Amino acid sequence: MLYLLIIIVVFKSQSNIDNYVLYATSGLIFWIFFANVTNQSIASIINSSGIIKALNVPTVFFPLSEMISELFNFILTLFVFAIAMHWFGIQYSFNLLTIIPITILFAVFTFGITLIFCSLNVFFRDVGILWTTIQPAIFYLTPIPYPEKVLTDRYPLVVQLNPIYYFIKLEREVIYKGVFPSGELWLQCTVLATGMLCIGYFIFSRLKNQFISSL
Amino acid sequence: MANDALIEFKGVTVAYWQNNMGVFSIKDLITHRKNPFTTKTILHDISFEVKRGECMGVLGRNGSGKSTLLRAIAGVVKPQVGSIHINGSIAPILAIGAGLETELTGYENIELLLSLYGKPRKDVDAIKSIKDFSGLSDDVLRTPTKTYSSGMLARLTFSISVANDSDILIIDEVLAVGDQGFQHKCMDKIYQVKKEGKTILFVSHFPEDVKKLCDTAILLDGGVITHRGGAPEICDLYQKLF
Repeated sequence: MLYLLIIIVVFKSQSNIDNYVLYATSGLIFWIFFANVTNQSIASIINSSGIIKALNVPTVFFPLSEMISELFNFILTLFVFAIAMHWFGIQYSFNLLTIIPITILFAVFTFGITLIFCSLNVFFRDVGILWTTIQPAIFYLTPIPYPEKVLTDRYPLVVQLNPIYYFIKLEREVIYKGVFPSGELWLQCTVLATGMLCIGYFIFSRLKNQFISSL
Repeated sequence: MANDALIEFKGVTVAYWQNNMGVFSIKDLITHRKNPFTTKTILHDISFEVKRGECMGVLGRNGSGKSTLLRAIAGVVKPQVGSIHINGSIAPILAIGAGLETELTGYENIELLLSLYGKPRKDVDAIKSIKDFSGLSDDVLRTPTKTYSSGMLARLTFSISVANDSDILIIDEVLAVGDQGFQHKCMDKIYQVKKEGKTILFVSHFPEDVKKLCDTAILLDGGVITHRGGAPEICDLYQKLF
């Protein structure tokens, strides 16, 4: 919360976006969801090594359960957010309901990344540590607390290659601008989400039978 | 003949990725610059059958693949080659403390394992029978299992495993750490389970126990079954060889 306040205070004076609080927080809640899921589930397989060694339980359930509990938190956050943002000029319309498919897409994408990290973490125990250090860098490279223009004008590649950017943009169309996102953006996000899930599941299923040799 | 086989192994080979270069982090990987994983075959071309109601002993030296064999039966390890068919439910592997979450208390562990076996978490009768059989006091069961001694862990794991009425019971070296009274209790329980017509896989370093309990036995050495046959012959062989 303090983090959020500092960001809002510091960047608000620097940027000339109208309705800055709504702009920043709409991006932040999605980022926080992403960060929480990855941080929570990265050690999920290692932490349940006792069960994995003794029982024949599908290993994918361990990251999945972390993810579902975070998703539940996120849904509660969204409700509170929707009410609180009344004072910061959110426009209530049926367009806001598209946040449901957006959340599902983002959750699928996040789960794909999570599968890669938690399975690699079994073999290389510093993946989790590396991820916590890299995460702030990704956060500041994604136009969450500052306007997109800062990056798109000078370094368009940084934004274009950042998959999280597309989801933030998609969700902002709905929450911040109050319009229905364009078909192109929907397509980009769907491809990213399914692609990431496929890559993640592929890596996970190649490694899962050997988890036990490193646990 | 294949119909009454409860466990059927056909040419099963299990290999682990062995990381014997000490590369356990990305940092090591970058400085090491070689693929640190070598594939090590633990079980090689294992084929056998266990019939319903049969009690099979598994004998072998340390590191001969006994535990891996049990893990393969439990489905925790998947074979690279060959196939495993199991027609029945399996109780958790009875290695000391395996399957227990060390941060949770004894009661929470009981509930966790009950629920993993598809039973209601708060099955009062089941919890009470586990508690009675283990002989652990209420105070002990309320403390995290990380504070338990190995004997207490063995008591708890054994009690939980026999409480699930599964078709196959896997016993891996648990009885070695319990005290005399509990060992007798366990052996009695094992005989009772055997009378109920359930299948038992028994791993032990004591050929005497195997001889008493088991009908058949296999002798593992270096990941292959070197001998297979009736329990008494295999036990005599084991004592002769090692």
